[in-house]
Amino acid sequence: MENQRTVADGIRLGLRALVYAVLGGAALLAVLTVGSVLGPLVALGLYTPPVAAWWTVFTAITVQGVPFLLLGTFVSAAIGAFVPERVFQRLLPRRTVLAVPVAGAAGVVLPGCECASVPVAGSLMRRGVAPAAALAFLLSAPAINPVVLVATSIAFPGQPEMVLGRLLASLGTAVVMGWLWARFGREEWLRPPKRRGGQAPGGGPRAFVSGLQHDFLHAGGFLVLGAAAAATFDIVVPRSLLEVFTGSAWLSVLLLALLAVVLCVCSEADAFVAASLSGFSPTARLAFMVVGPMVDLKLIALQTGTFGRAFAVRFSAATWMVAVTSSVLVGWWLL
Amino acid sequence: MRRYGPAVLLALLGAAILRVSLFGELYLRYVQAGLRPYLVVSGAALVLLGAAVAVVTNRADHDHDHGDGGGHAGHGHGPGGPRVAWFLTVPALALLLFPPPALGSYSAEREAARSAARGVGTFPALPPGNPVDLTLGEFGSRAVYDSGRSLDGRTVRLTGFVTRGDGTWYVTRLLVSCCAADATAARAEVRGAQAPPADTWVTVTGRWHPEGGLGSDAAWPPVVDAASVRRVPQPDNPYEKR
Repeated sequence: MENQRTVADGIRLGLRALVYAVLGGAALLAVLTVGSVLGPLVALGLYTPPVAAWWTVFTAITVQGVPFLLLGTFVSAAIGAFVPERVFQRLLPRRTVLAVPVAGAAGVVLPGCECASVPVAGSLMRRGVAPAAALAFLLSAPAINPVVLVATSIAFPGQPEMVLGRLLASLGTAVVMGWLWARFGREEWLRPPKRRGGQAPGGGPRAFVSGLQHDFLHAGGFLVLGAAAAATFDIVVPRSLLEVFTGSAWLSVLLLALLAVVLCVCSEADAFVAASLSGFSPTARLAFMVVGPMVDLKLIALQTGTFGRAFAVRFSAATWMVAVTSSVLVGWWLL
Repeated sequence: MRRYGPAVLLALLGAAILRVSLFGELYLRYVQAGLRPYLVVSGAALVLLGAAVAVVTNRADHDHDHGDGGGHAGHGHGPGGPRVAWFLTVPALALLLFPPPALGSYSAEREAARSAARGVGTFPALPPGNPVDLTLGEFGSRAVYDSGRSLDGRTVRLTGFVTRGDGTWYVTRLLVSCCAADATAARAEVRGAQAPPADTWVTVTGRWHPEGGLGSDAAWPPVVDAASVRRVPQPDNPYEKR
């Protein structure tokens, strides 16, 4: 009896397994066949030239940003793990009013584009540097470092006043924004990432590794978001639209200042783009180069990640206005 | 397992960067050639960092076996690291599995193709011998701005992809100075040859056909009278350096 039941059970189990295998196999085969026939068709249908171009621009901005972001987070993690607070207290003037221009001018030393400066400014704040001074550094570093100035002089051959104008207008904007923050800024807008997940207390190699890991991943995620936004604008906004607005001097300044925000061209390359916008006045092109490294979608995303949304929105809006004003003033004086 | 998320993510991104920069020329579709060493270094650094993070996480696991693993009163992320970081998997997987193609005629045609306005002047002499290989950027500058007319009487060879205008076609190349997001187009109108399909890569051999006054709008885009149009594979670097 027992044996018969076991055999019957065995057969039933075997049959059931067979049915499942056949049915499941057939279903899988059907799905695979349909998928392999329709999949490429659907993918090709969706993979139109604009979509392909979106992917390329999106990937390009991300790939281009990774080395600079890594450099920035490397410096910032090294500051966090190995440089004691008193170093900065000794280097920077005690009074914020004086510390702001010093920090702004110190932006010369960080060669890289804007991706690098956000994490460094964050770690400076954690190390007790006055937020106003760290923000001046944040704005000036991507705009006035030697690599960018050399690129500008190559893009505008025989026009040294363009390089000088860019230096003065960018430095002016950074310092004015630092002072504005010192006067009107509120601590609660800023969310300095004082306590970070995974950060071991104290210093040393372990703090360095976990700080670097956390900062890079966090900022990297926001870099991807910014790249997606920039690629979308790059595909959606036709550049021929620009030709329409070249007539009015005022409109063209505002238009190029807005274009700098949405295009997110890296600060080492924006001079070449500005040079190719030949229908616009020199002042408008200067505004493009001054606004670009300080306010753009990628940067707003990175600042949101590091300092919080309340800060990023207010700070970017104010910076945009100060940068436009300062480029108009410098342009009117120099160009 | 989620604790190892950051380590995996870093290694994945590092592998993706290395795949396009160290093990191939794909990075040229996205950024300019000079960035390669930085890409290789940062790709390797990311892989190493991923390994270091895995080791640190592993040690921390052992250290915290008796504790609660420490509080993470951070900004909206759990033990798996910052949540926003998972967006990084999108470009990383795209690069590893389906590297996006180089920009082509779609982007070139959207550009209001204009060369940077610059003064008319003389250019350095071209190398001797015919035909002379020129980039489209160089050809355009010399055709429109060279008062020494160095292109006169020379046979030039231009390589680019095909874009169409109304009734005309162009051999076109995108100029990139930093990454594909700042691409601008340089092109030359081709006369005397049938138009291949758009986006075909061709090498056009022919002579410069002067049109319009030096430095004027009518001189743009430059024209080449084609003697031969040959199909070629897409070059390793699809862009020209500006």
